[in-house]
Amino acid sequence: MNDSRSIRFHYLLRAVILLAFALYIGHLVQQDALHYYVAPKLARWVQLCPIPLTLMALSLAIQALFGKGNVLCDCEHRLPHSIFKSTALYGLFLFPLLLGFALPDRALGSMAASKKGISFSSLPSETTNAVRFESIDPYHEELTELAKILYGQPTIPVYSDIFSETLGAIDMYKQQFEGKEISVSGFLYRDDSETPENIFAIGRFLVQCCTADATPFGMLVDSGKLKSLPTDTWIEVRGKLQIVQYKGQEMMQIRAEAITPIAQPTTPYIYTSADSITAWKALTNTANPTK
Amino acid sequence: MVHLIRTLTTLSPLKLLPLLLPISFLIIIGFIWVPNQLELLDNAYIDTFKTGFIGILLEALPFVLAGALLSSLLRVFIPDEMISRWIPRQALPAILFACLLGIIFPVCECGMIPLVRRLIHKGMPVYVAIVFILSGPILNPVVYGATLTAFRNHSELAYARMGLAFVVACIIGLIIYATVKKSPIRLSVQRETDNTHHNNSRGGKLAAVFVHTSDEFFEMGKYLIIGCLLTAGIQTFMVQDSLAAIGDKPLGSYFFMMGLAFVLSLCSTSDAFVASTFVHSFPAGALLAFMVFGPMLDFKNSLMLLSLFKTKFALYLFFLIFSSVFIGAVLMSLWL
Repeated sequence: MNDSRSIRFHYLLRAVILLAFALYIGHLVQQDALHYYVAPKLARWVQLCPIPLTLMALSLAIQALFGKGNVLCDCEHRLPHSIFKSTALYGLFLFPLLLGFALPDRALGSMAASKKGISFSSLPSETTNAVRFESIDPYHEELTELAKILYGQPTIPVYSDIFSETLGAIDMYKQQFEGKEISVSGFLYRDDSETPENIFAIGRFLVQCCTADATPFGMLVDSGKLKSLPTDTWIEVRGKLQIVQYKGQEMMQIRAEAITPIAQPTTPYIYTSADSITAWKALTNTANPTK
Repeated sequence: MVHLIRTLTTLSPLKLLPLLLPISFLIIIGFIWVPNQLELLDNAYIDTFKTGFIGILLEALPFVLAGALLSSLLRVFIPDEMISRWIPRQALPAILFACLLGIIFPVCECGMIPLVRRLIHKGMPVYVAIVFILSGPILNPVVYGATLTAFRNHSELAYARMGLAFVVACIIGLIIYATVKKSPIRLSVQRETDNTHHNNSRGGKLAAVFVHTSDEFFEMGKYLIIGCLLTAGIQTFMVQDSLAAIGDKPLGSYFFMMGLAFVLSLCSTSDAFVASTFVHSFPAGALLAFMVFGPMLDFKNSLMLLSLFKTKFALYLFFLIFSSVFIGAVLMSLWL
């Protein structure tokens, strides 16, 4: 197909679509909403994408507007002939843009958690620790160190930077942490109607790469006589840790003493931390500069 | 309109074949979705779908662009003979060379197809290209690191994944070398070999690179978007717990995991994390099959491969991948 007018039209339309993608990514970055969709380490690469996209759009536009008619040809990559195929192709590309711009950016919530199933522990149930704070193998050493540090705190704070590691450390040494005070924030998740209203989970989505692998992660809470809040509310829970049996497994649960609704944090997801001990030190230093 | 009718009436059964596979999958998914039709109006579903869809799309975007850009740079700047000079003549060294290429170029499978099509044009033999396609997405440091992280407590699964991927890629490469003599590339793709095409585009070679990149992007992008739509749909509408019951069946769990890997079409860096969520309900061998089959063959990939290769060859390749991964995973699970 050598119809240069048709080729120019296709090129221009493609240039517009590519530019729209670049603008959409820019829009997400400007709204600080990119992290709703991809993990920080990947976000860097996504932020670079508008550059090649714009260059592609520019090159296409130049060909379309200034290219000599007899040179323009699509022998190699055939452009769609019929209106039907063209609409299908460009419609497909416009659909994500439409969805992206039209609907608001939201973090994953209970709905997604209920499809994936929340996990309360990152460790297999066989790990038992008969001896106080001794690690079983080299991997667990880091969590053991963290557990020792956490144990020394009057109230265990769960920082979002080391959320999964903190909960993992507590879960590893259930007996030792029983009765300790803890303070954690997350979204309120209720899984099925069988569990009474005062038993729910406080959770966050653990993201490794992007929303496809986002796994809900959290801890059980028993709110007792406290006023119950709707699902998906962002809350901060303060209470005492206790060991309970849940669905046939031993789990840590927080007996809540205070539940406060909070604003959804700007980074609602959690990510694994490369070194939780260093992160802890950095976080506690900024919290207590006089130390 | 007349054109449409003419196209429909001239469709022969063989032309429909490439579409049958994705259509049958869509029908199966449809049956799973239909009970939830009424829930489509519920905002929570649309929000979750949108977040999942855009998330997966954005995650794959840098890789697709990188693959298209690399392929386009190859086309414009590297002459044909250079590639054929680098590849060893004998089968075994060539296969090992392809695995090495896979380690050096950590391109997600979405970006791989345009690059491989370009390499085949430049003279890479098909069996070497196949080994590259199969081993590339798995045998690289990024994926190895991701798998180790996801399976911290079961690091043997990471080693097994690398080992199985290597063995499967080599075996399939050898089988193809031995059994496929005629070029399996689609005729329509073969006609693109005219490299004497004068480059008179405005802006010279640099502009030509970007124009070709955009061509590749639009060609591969359509499969990417369809794959993302499907994955996001599954994540939004399918409950993962109900799948756990299937994990108890000995061999059925393997088929299920491989089917899931096919339909989910996850990038090879994140599929390890998804697999780790199943570690309590499925046997190690099934998870291994999930992690090796997925990057080699999934919904997105299969569409792209069907667009590159003749249908018979593509189906032959799918069968080889499926059976070797299945047999390999079962054998490996005896050792794990």
